[in-house]
Amino acid sequence: MSEKIKILYVDDEPENLVGFKASLRLDYQILTATNVPLAISILNDHPEIRVVFCDQRMPGKSGVDFFEEIRISHPLAVRIMLTAYTDVDSIIDAINKGNIFRFVKKPWIEADIIWAIAEANKFYLANSMLSIKNDELQKAYNELNKFAYSVSHDIRGPLSGLLGAMNLASDIDDIDEMKEMLSLMEKSVKKLDTYVLSMHDYYSLQRGELKITEIDFNKVIEELKAIYTVLSRINKVKLEISIHQDGIFRSDYAPLRLIFNNLLSNAFKYQERNSTNKSVEMIVEVQNGVATIYVKDTGIGILGSHVGEIFNLFYRSNSLEVGSGFGLYNVKSALSKLNGQIEVQSVLHQGTTFKVTIPSI
Amino acid sequence: MDINFSFIVIDDSELDCFVTRKFLERTNESLIISTFQSAQHALETIRENPAGDNSIPTIILLDLQMPFMNGFEFVEEFEKLSAEVQKNYMIIILTILSSVNNPGDIYRIYNFGTVKSIIEKPLNKEKLISLLNYIRPAI
Repeated sequence: MSEKIKILYVDDEPENLVGFKASLRLDYQILTATNVPLAISILNDHPEIRVVFCDQRMPGKSGVDFFEEIRISHPLAVRIMLTAYTDVDSIIDAINKGNIFRFVKKPWIEADIIWAIAEANKFYLANSMLSIKNDELQKAYNELNKFAYSVSHDIRGPLSGLLGAMNLASDIDDIDEMKEMLSLMEKSVKKLDTYVLSMHDYYSLQRGELKITEIDFNKVIEELKAIYTVLSRINKVKLEISIHQDGIFRSDYAPLRLIFNNLLSNAFKYQERNSTNKSVEMIVEVQNGVATIYVKDTGIGILGSHVGEIFNLFYRSNSLEVGSGFGLYNVKSALSKLNGQIEVQSVLHQGTTFKVTIPSI
Repeated sequence: MDINFSFIVIDDSELDCFVTRKFLERTNESLIISTFQSAQHALETIRENPAGDNSIPTIILLDLQMPFMNGFEFVEEFEKLSAEVQKNYMIIILTILSSVNNPGDIYRIYNFGTVKSIIEKPLNKEKLISLLNYIRPAI
């Protein structure tokens, strides 16, 4: 059975609290407070409280004032006033200020309270769903904004560069100059292509379901090794990979591959250009159902003040090399799907180490 | 054609830097051209060489959307330099314009005193010639 609904009842008369608790405690989890400060500290300690009952007449703060306060500080809790008919003015006041969901007349009968709780609970659930949906929508909307901006820069940027180059081409007679420009155009087209591919990664990570299989890290790495051995030879970057897997590891292959691919490609991409001692090292250790992956490079490093931002969508901390601002964001999304963690340590001009831990699912 | 200009091109795209440089070289003017893919690097160079190229006016062709330091940030930093330094330079924005661009952005960039004009990418010969005609009397 699901957990009991948590309810707070505030009344300055202890016998009322006892009576309330006695008749309702079997069906609900009842918390009580004899004054407003205590009630607020209970609400702070138990944010999952769904319904708050309060007596209108209390020394110090009135029920109306208390509700007005928690409406701001604990907006999700549904507020119900307990009051005698003689308090008509305060009831009207409370309703007009929009601070209460219901009122129940004193002395109360159990059926009224139970019905009020059931209604309040429905209201609470609808409200919390709404607020979760709202947060999701806000997040999606923010990302859409970034997308619009990024489309103008990362897609139209290279396109306008290519158009400019084509304009210029009619004025170029020198074949070497033309070849130089063509190779720059090729870079732009490749960048655009990478961008579209990572946009696809982004989309599948946001929408895709997990496909859990048994993972053999040797096989995962074997495929990537083929690509990166070539890169290693062309760019004169030493590549070392070591894998130790003890036992079965279950996870989703596609996000795993994306994580390895992005981290490795960054490690190669952000090498110190003129260094003679370039290397990339990857260590994979799988033990007790946890995979720990280190990717170390001897690259340009990340400025301390940028480390906090590198996982943000479209963030690029470096202007020297091509980056879409998708890579590490996708890594982080992939990791959050797999319940994984990532840490980064970086020293400017010495290198960066990413440490990833992923539990077997 | 006795007036010469010096140009500083700031654009994170290598291709755009190349294309702009080649267009400039084809204008029959005798120009000194330097290109930077990082606005930060360009700013440091200006700080180290505050006089620009002696008595030759220097025109900065500036892209707006760049990682790390964008065009707005560059202009903000540039305007912190002394008036003595600023008067040796003239900033022209060279950027993509689209409905996606916040119109406020364009308004904002025009509010900078050092920004003299905006040219929409892609660059071509006609745009460049009209730019040169525009800046010649201004100097």
